Amino acid sequence: MRRISAKPVGVVVLLIWSLGPIYWALASSFMRPTDLTAQPPHFLPPVVTWQHYANLLGFNSTFQGQQVQSVWPQFSRALVNSLVTSGAATIVTVALAALGAYAFVRLRFPGRDAIFALVVATLAIPAYTVMIPLYRLMIVVHLVDTYLGVTLIYVSAFLPLALWLMRSVYRALPLSLEEAAALDGASRLYTLFRIVIPLSAPGLIASAILTFLSAWGMFVVPLVFSPTLHTKPLTVLIPEFVTKNYVDYGLMNAAGLLAIIPPVLVVIFLNRYLVSGLMAGAGK
Amino acid sequence: MSLALALAPGRRRETGLGLLLALPIVLVMASLVFYPLLLTLWDSLHRVDPMRYGTPFVGLGQYIELFNDSDVGAAWGNTIWLVIMAVVAETVGGVLIALLLQSVRRGRQWLLAAVILPWAMPPIVNAIIWLWIYNPSYGLLNAVLRDLGVISHYHVWFNDRATALALIAVVHVWRMMPLTAVIVLAALQGIPHELYEAARIDGARPWRSFVAITLPLIAPALAIALTQSTIFAFNLFDEAWILAGASLDTRTLLIETYMLAFQNLHFSYGMALSVLVMLVSLAVSLLYVMRSGRGATYE
Repeated sequence: MRRISAKPVGVVVLLIWSLGPIYWALASSFMRPTDLTAQPPHFLPPVVTWQHYANLLGFNSTFQGQQVQSVWPQFSRALVNSLVTSGAATIVTVALAALGAYAFVRLRFPGRDAIFALVVATLAIPAYTVMIPLYRLMIVVHLVDTYLGVTLIYVSAFLPLALWLMRSVYRALPLSLEEAAALDGASRLYTLFRIVIPLSAPGLIASAILTFLSAWGMFVVPLVFSPTLHTKPLTVLIPEFVTKNYVDYGLMNAAGLLAIIPPVLVVIFLNRYLVSGLMAGAGK
Repeated sequence: MSLALALAPGRRRETGLGLLLALPIVLVMASLVFYPLLLTLWDSLHRVDPMRYGTPFVGLGQYIELFNDSDVGAAWGNTIWLVIMAVVAETVGGVLIALLLQSVRRGRQWLLAAVILPWAMPPIVNAIIWLWIYNPSYGLLNAVLRDLGVISHYHVWFNDRATALALIAVVHVWRMMPLTAVIVLAALQGIPHELYEAARIDGARPWRSFVAITLPLIAPALAIALTQSTIFAFNLFDEAWILAGASLDTRTLLIETYMLAFQNLHFSYGMALSVLVMLVSLAVSLLYVMRSGRGATYE
């Protein structure tokens, strides 16, 4: 009897633990400032207000009788920056990994295994280790606060995992297909683009998702390398709402929830690839 | 007519293509990771300080200074506590979640999606969500605990160092536990069902078959999960930064490095600290690689 009832309880506890905090942020983002500070707290917004979202998305509002400027100019800029840097980093990382992994799996060239081992070994060292010299380097080449600079750093940080993933994907492909293509006179590149890469689509999607989510969530790198709104992403802008003279929890929660829309979409629609990528990334 | 000779042009072309495809990766990693890494090692032996003239060689002087720096010592202490709390909670919780997921038949992919969501979100947003929950005046934590009768009055949670570290660990665990759960779940799915059948026929209780069958078979996956948990917790920055800023009570090694280098502009002193952090991270990974040598030979 006990085992039968333990499972639903476990599921409910797990759902509350995983989604409860997100629900609370969602509820708070729809509460008026007076309801946010109510005692005891409301678990549902007594009155649904869109004012925090309106403030983020371009409308001026009033708070405690004062006119509040919309943060849309900053917010939209940071949103674009987040999309551009994460998108560019994803495309470049996956492209380099898809091509490079083929070389590391199927082609022989001097230093192949040593290079692969060195690149993958950087998975074990924190990206922050090289941040200080990287900062001085980026200043010298004038790439601080540029899309190119930030994207390159992201690529160097996420490439090892993507390469590792793509290599394990290629290794799992049957060699016979490529041999058949070779016998038919297909070149290596033709085989790679027409047979290997199309067959590896799930692996490519998994690498792309992992790279995108990592880039989207990056904080320390843009904190240092994106000092102004020129390239500052949402992750750096949103905490700045906290440190203003008064903490606007409604605005903060609303901004946070807008920032999690991409991860939520990925988890809902592409979770299969995400899970397989995580499993492969951690394993062999 | 030897075969090797006939193949030679093809082989050479293969070498060229291999180098060409690997070249971009080599360039990116060499210029943005390995060159700065060597620079870090080199500069940590010199005094590189934008506010002072010259970069004299100081040998291990900065490393010795680090050992006598009380702020750095506190950061080591904070980080070690966070690692212990996070790794224990993530491992125990992750295994429990994996077992639960494995046993759920209907709607498992939806439960899995809910479990993974905190991991997929930007760490900054996670920390902000919990910052609001931990709010001393209007936060959910105080209200819920008072309603349950656990506390009699509202607490300012971050006034106490131990509590503050524990609450930061909770946020980190909330984010990272799904990773352990997924890694363990993959291992669980690889265990043949017949093993449990046989154990059940032999009259083994669930706990007994967990210890005798499940645990040994998920041990390699657990080792991977443990390594990941340790390295991620060791490099904790975002959660502590959002929840408590640069507060010395909760300052982690990475925050200390950031403060040294980018706030106080002691570049090479910060680099010396980051070299130490890197060495510990590498040691943890090596420990794992040596423990699971099987995987390495299996390749």
